[in-house]
Amino acid sequence: MCLDDQILNTYLDNELTEPWKSQVEEHLSYCPSCRARYQNLLQLSDTIKSSELTEEEIRPHQDRVLSMIEKNYLSKGKSKKSFFKRTFKVSGPQLMGVAAAFVVVFVGSWAVFGNSGSSDGQIILPDVNTTIDLNNITQTRSSDNATTSKSLENYSLDEILKNLDARGYDVDIRLKSIQPLSLDKMSSEVKVIATVSDKGITITSDGLARNADGTIVATGVLVDDKNEVVASDGTVLFTAEETQVVE
Amino acid sequence: MEIRSGDELAFRQVYNEVFPVVMKVAYHVTYNQDVAEDICQDAFIRFYDKDMSFPSMDDAKFWLIRVVKNLAINHVKRKVRESASLEKVMRGPQVNPFKDGASELILKESTAAVRKAVSELPEIYKTVIVLREYAGLNYKEIAGVLKISESNVKVRVHRARKELEAMLNREEVNVP
Ligand SMILES: [Zn+2]
Repeated sequence: MCLDDQILNTYLDNELTEPWKSQVEEHLSYCPSCRARYQNLLQLSDTIKSSELTEEEIRPHQDRVLSMIEKNYLSKGKSKKSFFKRTFKVSGPQLMGVAAAFVVVFVGSWAVFGNSGSSDGQIILPDVNTTIDLNNITQTRSSDNATTSKSLENYSLDEILKNLDARGYDVDIRLKSIQPLSLDKMSSEVKVIATVSDKGITITSDGLARNADGTIVATGVLVDDKNEVVASDGTVLFTAEETQVVE
Repeated sequence: MEIRSGDELAFRQVYNEVFPVVMKVAYHVTYNQDVAEDICQDAFIRFYDKDMSFPSMDDAKFWLIRVVKNLAINHVKRKVRESASLEKVMRGPQVNPFKDGASELILKESTAAVRKAVSELPEIYKTVIVLREYAGLNYKEIAGVLKISESNVKVRVHRARKELEAMLNREEVNVP
C-alpha cells in the first residue's frame, strides 16, 4: 500500500515516530512514485520557506523597536540620573528661602509610602538631609498582581510621570516646605562652624545655613578649605571674603 | 536558566534572540512590515512591563510568539471587516501589496506568489504553517502555542500545504 500525503508531510517534518518512520523509509527506498511525491512535497516546503522575511528586511525593524524601548522603558546605563539624585542636585540654591523641602508628587492610588503608608497616595521624595530608607518606597499597582513591586529608585522622574500620565492619573508636583526646627531643639553636637555676618547667616556642622531668626536657608552646605560656603551641588553660596570661620 | 522579563539584561538577551522569529510570525500573518513592527513593539513592551518569570528562553519565546500571533490575527480580522465595508463603497481594483516593489525590496516572483498564497489561507491553516515554516516550531511547540492537540497540528499542516500547492499551481498556469 502506498503512502499518503499526510504521512509524507509528517515524515518530512521529522515528526514520525518508530516503527512508522522506518516503514516509510523502507517504502521510499523501493517505490519511485512515492519517492517522487515526497520530493514534490519537500520542494513545496522549501518554496514556502524561501519566501520568509529576510535578515535584511528584519534588521531595521529590530533596531527601531529596540531604540524606542530603550528610550522609553530601559534605564540609560550610567548616565541615568535617578529622581533622588536630581532632587539632590536642585536642592541647594532653589531651596534658599524655604525652611526645608520635600518634593511631593500627588497621585491617585498608584503609590503608597511604605506598607502602612499614607492612604492619600502621596509619594514623598526626600530631600538630601533626610534619612529615609529608599527601600521603603515601593511602587504598587492595584491593577496588576502585587508580585511586581519595584523600588521607585529604579525610575527616573520622567518615567514616573509618563507612567502615571499614561494611566490617567492627575499628577501634581509641588515643593512642600516645612517649618524650621527651633534652635533650642538642636542637638548639642551641632556646632556653629562659620558665619556670614553681613547677612546674619550661621552655618552649622549639620550642614544647615540659617538666617538670624533660625530659618533654614540652605541644606547640605559645607565650608571648604578656601573658606567658601558651598552648596551640595557645588555652587558657591558665599565667598571666602563674606565668611568668618569659627574655630 | 530562569528569565525575568523585567530585568534589563535578560530582556536584551531575549530581544536579540527572539525578535527575528516574532517579526516573521507577525509579518507572515499580516503581510505588512509596518504593522508587524508595531505588533512586535507592543508585545515586547508587554513582556518587559509585566516583569514575568520564565523557566527558560524557550518559554519566554513561546509567550512572545503567542502574543504576537494573537495581535496579528486580531489585526487581520479587523482589516477584513474594514475592507468588507469599504469594498461596498469603493468596488475598485485592490492593489496587490506583494507585487509592489516601491516601498519594499523588489521581490522574486516566486516569493511574491508564495506570500500572496499564504496570506489567502484560512486563519487556522495560516497560523500552523507560519509557525512551522517561518518560526521553525515543531508540532508539539505549535500545539502549545495554539493550545490545540498535536494530531490537530499534524492535520492542519498537511491541509495547509495542500491548499498552498493548489494555489501556487493555479498561479503558475495564469502566468503567461
Ligand atoms: Zn508507494
